[in-house]
Order: sequence, then C-alpha cells, then structure tokens
Amino acid sequence: MRQLAAIALLFLLALPSQAANIQVRLIRASNDSGKAETCLADIHGKLKEKFGYKFYQQLGVRQQPLKMGEKLQLDLGEKFQVFVTPKSSDKRQQELELEWYSGKTLLVRSIVKIVENGHLFVKGPEVANDWIVLAVSVRN
Amino acid sequence: MKQHNTERLSALADGELKGINRWLARRHVRHCPQCATEFARIERVRETLAACPPVVEMSDSADFFWSKIRREIAAREQETISIPMPRLSLADWLQVNRGILATVTSALVVVAGSLLMLQQPNAAHPGAVMVERVDTVIPNTVATPLKGSESDVAVIWVSGLEWTPDLDQMRECFDNIET
Repeated sequence: MRQLAAIALLFLLALPSQAANIQVRLIRASNDSGKAETCLADIHGKLKEKFGYKFYQQLGVRQQPLKMGEKLQLDLGEKFQVFVTPKSSDKRQQELELEWYSGKTLLVRSIVKIVENGHLFVKGPEVANDWIVLAVSVRN
Repeated sequence: MKQHNTERLSALADGELKGINRWLARRHVRHCPQCATEFARIERVRETLAACPPVVEMSDSADFFWSKIRREIAAREQETISIPMPRLSLADWLQVNRGILATVTSALVVVAGSLLMLQQPNAAHPGAVMVERVDTVIPNTVATPLKGSESDVAVIWVSGLEWTPDLDQMRECFDNIET
C-alpha cells in the first residue's frame, strides 16, 4: 500500500512545470575546415545529414524564455534578426510564429509546432560556396 | 494486541498490565467484540468472587456451601450486562481492508495516467516537429517545408535568394530588396 502511494506521488511530481526556452543559432555551412566549431556538436550530425556540408560555423546565438503571446526579438549578428511569437503551448509542444529578417527584409515567415529537444532548420542565403542556416530549438 | 489472548485479558482484569501494555489491551477490548465479551465474563467472575470473600472457617457442609454458590449464580444470571459495541475508526477500517485500498489506488493511478496520455498533443507523432505554414515575400523566392525520416527535425528550404560572394555584400543585397 505504501509503495503504491509512493508511486502515485512520484507520478504527480513528474508532471512538467518548467518554462520553455527558445534557442536560435545562425550557422554558416561550409566545406572549409577553418569553419568547424565544437559548440555545434549537439546538432552537427543532423546538419550534415540535412545539408551535406562537412563543417558548420556558429555566427550568432540567442536564447530566451518563451512567454505566451509576447513577441521576442533575437539579434543574431550580421544584421540578421529573428522574431518569435508563441501562439500556443502545452506540456511538450510549442506552436511558434517565426520571422527571419535580414535588415528590414523578411526572408521567411512560418508557423511551426516544435517539441522539446526538436529542431527546425531554415536554409537561407548562399554566400560564396557556403550556405547560411538558421537553427531553432526549444528547451526546458 | 493483534490476537485474542485470554491470559492477557485476565492480566488486564487483575490490574497486572501497566503503561502502554494496559493502554493497548484496553484499546483492543474496545474494538474487538470477542475480547470485549471475554473481558466482561472475566470481570463478572471477579465481581462474583469479590462478592463472596473466602471464609477462613467453613461452618457449612460442603454440599450446603455449593448449593449456596449455585443459588448465587442462578440469581446473578438474570442480571443484564451491557457489552460495549466496538466502533471502528478509519485507520482500523483501512487496516482491515488493505486489498480494497490497494485496488482503488491502482485504479486512480491508471485513470490519471490515461488522462495524461489523452492530453498529449499529436499522439501518433509525440516527438514530431511540424511546419504548419511557411511563406516568403521576396520576389522569385520560394520557401518549402521538407520532411525527412526523423520526426524531431524539420527543414524549411528557401530557394531563389540572390547569391553573394561574401557577408558584407549579402547584407547590402538584402537592404536593397523591395518586397
């Protein structure tokens, strides 16, 4: 009986209650070995699988807590900005409106549903032999 | 005192139990009809014996003495004795009905788990990243959502953006775009 009560208590305590954070990274995909960075080790495999380049350089990164209905402005450098507006959320999934700007030009606008530890990659402009990629993820 | 123990009841009636033992024995007698009856019987015997103090010298014959005893017992058998009815507390009830409690607790855990499962979004793809809508306002440019085999990664592919040889020219290029 006590064990059952303990299981029930653990079950209730396991319910998530933390605020989610959004992390946005500006990445340059390249075959130039000088652009390899260890800070992208967590997504390097996924980037390589999706875009094929061998090396990835992080040009900028921003992380902020999400607040329902509040539009976040994330400056990533190189005049790139990302605006994020949480539309809805539940325990595991966030619905976000994303706007990726270069200067005053809106490159792409999207509504995505993203889960904790999921990733959204946006392939952007091409610079020399490289690509500019935006990586968006949600963490608790 | 979890079992019916006549010797312990006798000890209680004789005042031989002290402290916590006496408290536990009294508590058990209050809640156990069988022991309450037995205790009342012992008390009655004690009272009967007390009412008939031992006579050091017996002036009566043995037969006459026992006839008096029988008469006394017959007279007292007509007396009504009130036996305390036990009242079970919630703790006692739970102690007796452990199986029911375990079943109810299990059922509650299963129901709570089922409700949480039902509340999970997109139950068919619990870890999926989904692009609901995507568009771009730059002329001659297309933004396309791509879905690979992995459910935790989604890709938006923006094609048609102007190529530039370096980042400085890229910034300048996008500054001059009219949307």
